Amino acid sequence: MTDEQKGILDKLRKAIFEYNAELARVSAQKAIELGIGPVEAMNVMTVAIREIGEAFGTGELWLPDLIGASDAMQGATPVLEEEIRKQGAHREILGKVVAGTVFGDIHNIGKTMVTTLLTAAGFEVDDLGVSIKADAFIEAVQKNEADLVAMSALMTTTMTEQEKVIESLKSKGIRERVKVMVGGAAVTEEFAGDIGADGYDPTAPGAVQLAERLLGKGK
Amino acid sequence: MALRGFLRGFKPFELISENQVEQIHEGTLDVLAKAGVKIYNDEALNVFKKNGCAVDFDTNLVCFPPALVEDCLRRCPSSFRVKSRNPDHDLVLGLDHTVFFNFPGRDIVDLSTGDSRTATRQEYIDLVRVLDALPTVHFLNNYPYFGYQGIPENMKEMEGAAIRLAHSTKVTMEIANNDIDRFTFRMAKAIGTEIFANPNTSSPLTCYTDQTNACFLAAEYDLPSMIWDGATTGSTAPASVAGAVISGNAEVIPYIVLLQLLRPGARVAVANLVLPQNMKTGAPAFGDISVSLHLAAYNQVWRRYGIPMVASSSGVSNAKVIGFQLAYEKTIPSLIAAISGSSAVQIHSSVYGEISAHPVQAVLDDDIANMIGRFLGGIEVDEDSMAVDMINEVGPIPGHFLGQAHTRRWWSREQVMTKSADRLTYPEWKNGGKKTDVDYARERMEEILSSHRVEPPLTDGEQGEIEKILKEAREHFRKNDLISSAEWSEYMKTLKEEGRA
Repeated sequence: MTDEQKGILDKLRKAIFEYNAELARVSAQKAIELGIGPVEAMNVMTVAIREIGEAFGTGELWLPDLIGASDAMQGATPVLEEEIRKQGAHREILGKVVAGTVFGDIHNIGKTMVTTLLTAAGFEVDDLGVSIKADAFIEAVQKNEADLVAMSALMTTTMTEQEKVIESLKSKGIRERVKVMVGGAAVTEEFAGDIGADGYDPTAPGAVQLAERLLGKGK
Repeated sequence: MALRGFLRGFKPFELISENQVEQIHEGTLDVLAKAGVKIYNDEALNVFKKNGCAVDFDTNLVCFPPALVEDCLRRCPSSFRVKSRNPDHDLVLGLDHTVFFNFPGRDIVDLSTGDSRTATRQEYIDLVRVLDALPTVHFLNNYPYFGYQGIPENMKEMEGAAIRLAHSTKVTMEIANNDIDRFTFRMAKAIGTEIFANPNTSSPLTCYTDQTNACFLAAEYDLPSMIWDGATTGSTAPASVAGAVISGNAEVIPYIVLLQLLRPGARVAVANLVLPQNMKTGAPAFGDISVSLHLAAYNQVWRRYGIPMVASSSGVSNAKVIGFQLAYEKTIPSLIAAISGSSAVQIHSSVYGEISAHPVQAVLDDDIANMIGRFLGGIEVDEDSMAVDMINEVGPIPGHFLGQAHTRRWWSREQVMTKSADRLTYPEWKNGGKKTDVDYARERMEEILSSHRVEPPLTDGEQGEIEKILKEAREHFRKNDLISSAEWSEYMKTLKEEGRA
């Protein structure tokens, strides 16, 4: 690797630690121009984000740092993913996730926090958004060949929608193909068990560990 | 007679300067005019368009001209009455008075373990009766618990409203989710009481359909509205207090504008449930000191508008059990809110967040509210209170003041005799069974439950009207698939057991 190539990968890493999406995007573009493999560039970012995740775990960093680093990574990811596709290269992911806030519920933040952290951890996430009907979850699971469905509901009046999605997965005969995790302020461990979800966690970082455990990727 | 709460006897606490209040006001107008607010309600978009707002019907974005905003803010009354079926329990909100009310918890909490579970119907009724009896509860929130056992999710709030209307004559309120309020407003009307509409904002800068519908309903029924902003600073609002006041106010004001356009002079209060984000867990950081800072700055800005403001974030703690943390996390913001001019402070009965509550906690909070209320009264400084002649007369030791008529006249005006606090000496405490504040509060709760009567009770005719509307609501929600088959059969079983099928 040339000094110039090393320099640009350092910049890419620095962009993640400085939460600078634009620097990440430009550095990724430059890395490709310099002939660096897109998977290698992606790995540099993954290592950086993992270090940030560890610092979060020890209390040195906080959620805004985690989200800032993740946003910076998102700046470079489309550039690198396009190159991976062009080259027909293979990238390791922890699993494919379909996520959304259930129908009738428009609370976005908790769900976004989870999808951001899942992405940062190495999952490929299709974030469907808020107020998502059961049919749309099913369609996304089939289209993405997802491994995991993550559903959020903040209100007691909407958390029953999570059960509807699970029932729909069963009626389409695909319940056994995917794991289901639920969360949101109104949801409890007991409720998650009652509706037949595979897992529940009350916090966003905990949701990532749960996802890893459910897909057998736990550390 | 009416419930007016405690009169503040001094100038409200000011955290920021008058100039800074103006800067925040200007900032709010700027956001309303430039970023605008997304309003998912076609009827409202038409009203805004007709009154000079820039409306994009494709994106639902509405930008508000400053002159319209200021005009509508001026139309709001600075004080108003909300009618109860018991005139002694009419609520008067605004100006220099502060009232208190309860903060809900989804579940009832086990006082010994901190575990929570869905309340039974009787436990729901008990909490409502305790709140009805406590003198510092001046009106009731839209829940004490989020419903009770055996009721479908979408009927929990309405069945609860029926209990509140029957077992308390204090004014209550109703949320707008799934148009529940369409039924509850009719229940209230049937028994001759008024109820607050509750349009809620969604942060940042968004108003959803059913919440906006609540404004139309409030205008139609000529009911007061309490507009709730529940942003989380650092995620759905700026992390800075000043920025969060601006974004929150920009979310609340579209509802005020709509209400004043629909019914000029409409009774409006604004409620502040803005909480900081816990940057570790992503949950709200209940009880953080920034809650108090936000309440104080917010109150100053809303005093400029002369619109009654409600402190809601004051009523939540992150503690799971009754104890030291719970007390300070609720008391500090409640006191700051009250001395900085909140018209209403939410405090009674909540234990952890919006998750758990208990009537024993409501009884403990009655003492806090009384102490804050006494503080609001301030002190008198005049010839009698300064007592210079008496001090001269009593002189040095062995003189004392215990036998003075002045003492008999003044001590109980200055002190609050709390009902649940342990104020015994050590030997009295030891010989009296080592009772704690929670023991005393439990005894008072039991005394209330055994003796309190709601006056006047509902007539059979009034109760029948409520049941009729509930039946209609059940069928409506079932028909619209908002009650599942499994929920419906459990619900019918519950109603049968209650003798209400």
